[in-house]
Amino acid sequence: MSPSTVPCVLTEKVREIIPTSKILVVGAGGIGCEILKNLALSGFADIEIIDLDTIDVSNLNRQFLFRKEHVGKSKAMVARESVLSYNPNISIKAYHDSVTTQEYGVNFFKRFKVVLNALDNRAARNHVNRMCLAADVPLIESGTAGYVGQVEFIKKGLTQCYECQPKPPQKTFPGCTIRNTPSEPVHCIVWGKHLFNQLFGEDDPDQDVSPDTADPEAAGSAGLNAAASETETGNVQRTSTRQWAQQSNYDAAKLFNKFFKDDIEYLLTMENLWKTRKPPKPLNWREAASHEGDADNSIDSVRATDMQVWPISKCAQVFASSIDILKEALSKKEFLVWDKDDKPALDFVTACANIRGHIFSIPQKSRFDVKSIAGNIIPAIATTNAMVAGLVVLMVFKVLAEDYENCNSIYVRQKSIHSNVVIAPDYHLIKANPKCYVCSPQPYVGVSVNVDVMTVKEFETEILKKTLNMIAPDAILDGKGVFVISSEEGETEANNDKKLSELGIVDGSILKVDDFLQNYNLTIGVNHYVAKEKDDPPYKVVADVDDLKPSVENGQQNGSTESSEEKHSKMEVDGNAGDDDDDLEIVDKPDEDDPQEGTSSKRRKLNPPEDEDDDLIMLDDP
Amino acid sequence: MTEIELSTAEAELYDRQIRLWGIESQEKLRAANVLLIGVRGLGSEIAKNILLSGINSLTVLDNGIVTEEELQKNFLLNQESMGSNIAEAILTKAQALNPLVKLTTETEPVSEKPDKYFQTFTIVVATGLSSKQLVRIDSICRNSNVQFICGDVFGMFGYSLADFQEHEFYEDQVKLPTKTKRTHEGKPTETSEKTTVKIQRKLSYPPIDQVLPTSEKKIVKSGVPGKTKRCNELYYLMRLLIQFRDQNNRDPSFNSKEDDLKKLKEIREEIIHRYQVNEEKLREDVFNLIFGEVVPVCAVVGGVIAQEVIKAVSHKEVPIHNLFLLNPYNFCGKEQIVGA
Ligand SMILES: [Zn+2]
Repeated sequence: MSPSTVPCVLTEKVREIIPTSKILVVGAGGIGCEILKNLALSGFADIEIIDLDTIDVSNLNRQFLFRKEHVGKSKAMVARESVLSYNPNISIKAYHDSVTTQEYGVNFFKRFKVVLNALDNRAARNHVNRMCLAADVPLIESGTAGYVGQVEFIKKGLTQCYECQPKPPQKTFPGCTIRNTPSEPVHCIVWGKHLFNQLFGEDDPDQDVSPDTADPEAAGSAGLNAAASETETGNVQRTSTRQWAQQSNYDAAKLFNKFFKDDIEYLLTMENLWKTRKPPKPLNWREAASHEGDADNSIDSVRATDMQVWPISKCAQVFASSIDILKEALSKKEFLVWDKDDKPALDFVTACANIRGHIFSIPQKSRFDVKSIAGNIIPAIATTNAMVAGLVVLMVFKVLAEDYENCNSIYVRQKSIHSNVVIAPDYHLIKANPKCYVCSPQPYVGVSVNVDVMTVKEFETEILKKTLNMIAPDAILDGKGVFVISSEEGETEANNDKKLSELGIVDGSILKVDDFLQNYNLTIGVNHYVAKEKDDPPYKVVADVDDLKPSVENGQQNGSTESSEEKHSKMEVDGNAGDDDDDLEIVDKPDEDDPQEGTSSKRRKLNPPEDEDDDLIMLDDP
Repeated sequence: MTEIELSTAEAELYDRQIRLWGIESQEKLRAANVLLIGVRGLGSEIAKNILLSGINSLTVLDNGIVTEEELQKNFLLNQESMGSNIAEAILTKAQALNPLVKLTTETEPVSEKPDKYFQTFTIVVATGLSSKQLVRIDSICRNSNVQFICGDVFGMFGYSLADFQEHEFYEDQVKLPTKTKRTHEGKPTETSEKTTVKIQRKLSYPPIDQVLPTSEKKIVKSGVPGKTKRCNELYYLMRLLIQFRDQNNRDPSFNSKEDDLKKLKEIREEIIHRYQVNEEKLREDVFNLIFGEVVPVCAVVGGVIAQEVIKAVSHKEVPIHNLFLLNPYNFCGKEQIVGA
C-alpha cells in the first residue's frame, strides 16, 4: 500500500492516520459503492462493509461496482471484490448480513474510527444511530432521493442524533376511503394491493376490501340498514374472501363480478355516501371484456404496455390472465407475498386499480406509474449519489482531523431558477434536542394506548419494535417490579396474550424498557386512551408531551392537525415505505430540499433566492 | 436523431432514472454522442456517470500515459496498465460499466484534431485543457451547435463552466393539490392529485472566451471580470489556476510545491491588480489546498458535470448558468454567471 494515495493537501496528522483508520460502511447500495471507491482511492486501507441485500438489475444504473453477471449475488461481497480489483493492497472485510442482528453489538462498533451510513430505510438508520451513540463513535449519515441528498454528522454530546427530530410519519389512508369512497388513483392502487393479499397473500384483517358498513358517513342510509341486517344474520360476507375465492376455483368472471359489480351495487345502497360524491358505476365481466370505445392497442412495445394506460378490455383480460398465473403459484405455497418486481402481481394490481378507477371515475394509471406508487419507489441516480458520497468522504477527513466544528450538514439541491446554490452547507452544527427519546440523558416517551384492548405481545411488536425501533427489549413495570417483557425466549411468554391492564399497566403507569443490544434505556409513561373516531390511530407515541396538543400554527395553516403530516409525506402508501430502494433518505427538511414542495409559498420564505449573499461565501473561512 | 424506442432490457436497466426524468429524456440520452477529453481523476468520474446514464456513444480522448500517480486516483485503471495510453487503458473497465454504450478511444492530442472532428458530437466535455484549447474548441462547437462544458479539480477546489449557447429546456413543476375541500358535514374529502406542468424556459450562455479572456482587450461587459461587482472570488481562483496551467503546461504539483507556490503568488498579485480583487478574499493560504486531484472532490464535481451533461442533452431541468464553483473549505457549491 503506497501512502501517497492519501491526498497531499490534508494535514500531516490526518495523512498519517488515514491508512490505519478502521472505517465501517453500512450499506453497499448506490451511495455505499461510491463511498467505498472514494475511501479506497484516498488511502484508507482498513474498511469493513455490511449489507444484507442482493444485486438487482435495476441497481446497475448507479451501483457501478456491480455488473449484469452479479445479479442475485451479495452486494457486500461483490463490492469488496470489485474494489480490490483496482486496489488489491488494502483490507476490506465484507458481511452479507443485517446490521441489526446480535453479532454487531456495541463492541463491534467500538472498533471503528468512523461509521458511514449508506442505508435505505429508517429502521436500520435508527439502529445504527443508537449503536454509535452507545459506542461513542462518530457517525456520518447520508441519503439521496432523486436530485436531492444530504450528509449529516452525528456525534454523541456534540450534535443532534438521527432521531432528535421526529420524522414525518408514513402516510396511510383511512379504511373507509379505500373500501368505500376512493377519490385518487392511489386509493385504488392500495385497494388493489389489499385485494391481492386477500386472494393470495397472508391474511390481514386490516386489509379488507369489501364495503365498510361501519363508515360513519354512511350511517342512516336506508338501504344500508336493510343490507346490514342481512349481513348480521350471516350471509356470504361471513366467509373470508379467500375461502370464497377458493370455492369458486378462482374463476375470473366470478371474482370480477363480485368485486366490481356486486360490491359496488352494495356500496350504492349506502346512499349517504353519494350525496356529495359521484356514485360509482358497477361493471360486469361481460361488459368489461368487450368494453366499447377502447382503442386497439396491440403493439407490444415498452411504451404501450408499460407507459400507456390500458383500456378497460385489456384490464379485464390482464385481470383474468394474472389470476391464472397467481393461482398456479399459490398452489405451491401457503401464501404469496406482493412484490412490485413480480410481473403477474404488478399486472394484477394495475388491472384492479384501473377497473376500480374506471368505476369511480378516477383517472387511470399506466403500469409504470402503478409500480412507482405501489412499490414506494424513490428514484435514484448515479450523479446525486456520487456527489453525496464525495461529500461523505470529505467529511471523514474533517472528522479525522477532529475538526468537528466544521462538520456541518450539507445538502445537495436541485438547481432551480430561484436559487444559485447547488451544494449548501449548514452554517453551524445542530444541537441535540433535549427531549430526544434516544440521546437525551433520561430518555422518556409518552405512549397513549387502550390498556384494556392492547395485548402485551402487540405492545412489544407494534410499539417497542416497529415504532420505537428496538430489537430485543426487556420491560419492567416500575414500582411493582413486574417483568412484563423479556428478551430471553420463553421467559414472559405467558404474558403475550394478556391485556396490558391485566398486568397492572394502567393510566399513569411507568414502564422501564431496556434494549440490551442497543444499550438503550427508555422510560415509557403510559396514558390510557380510547380511539373515538373511526380513523383515530389505535395508539400514539409522543416524545414531547407538549406535542399531544395540536400546535396553533398547524391549525391555522391547514385547518386540521393531520395535514401538517400529509404535507411532509412522500409517495409512501402503506406500511413499508422506504423499503424498496437503496439510498432512500426521508430528507429531514422537506421544505427546503424536496422539489415536490417547490410550489408551496412556505418554501419560498424559507429558501429565498441567494443572490444577496454571494459575499458570504469567501475564501476567508478558518 | 430519430426517437428510437427503448428496448425492454433498457427500460429495466434505466428504470429508476426514467422514473425521475421521464422516458423522453432517456430517449434523448439514448441518441446522444459524447466526446470526453481527459480521463484522469475528474474525467474518470464523468465517464462513469454518463456511461451509466445510457447515452448512445462515448468517445474518450486522452494522449497521456498511465503513471503511478494516475493509478492511485483512477478506478478505471489497474496495475497492468502502467505505461500504456490512458484512454486505451480504461476501455475494459469503462465498457463494463455499461455494455450498451458504444465506447471508443482516441490517443491523439486534442490540438491535432481538426475542427470538423468536434462537429459530429452532441456535446463535448473537456477536462485538463489550457484556456487556448478551451476557447478554440468552444468556438468550433458554437459554430456547429454542439454543446460544450469543461471543468477541473485542483486539490479541494473544483469548477465547471458550460456553454450551452441558446439553450431551450423545460422543467416539470409540481402543483400541489389545492386545499382540502370540505363537505357540509365537515369531513375532508376529494383532494385532487398533484399535477405536473411543463414550463418552457431559455437561457443564453456566453462563449468561453467571455469567461476566460485570452487577451487583455477581450475583457467583458457586466457582472464580470472587469467589475468586481458580486463576483465570487473563487472565479478568480479558477482564472489563476488556469493561468498557471497555461504558463507552465502542467498543474501545480506537490513535488515542486515551493516553486509552484511562488509562481501562484505572482499570478495572484497580477490578477488582484488587473481585476481589483479584494486581497483579503483571495488569500494566499488557499494555495495549500489546490495540489493534486482529490478523489472525493472529483466525485462531487464529476457528479455535477455529468448531471449538467444529462440536462443539456435531454433539454430538461434548469442547468447551471454558466459557472459552478466549489468552495475548497466548506464545499458550498454555487452557480455564478460570468460573461453574460
Ligand atoms: Zn437525539
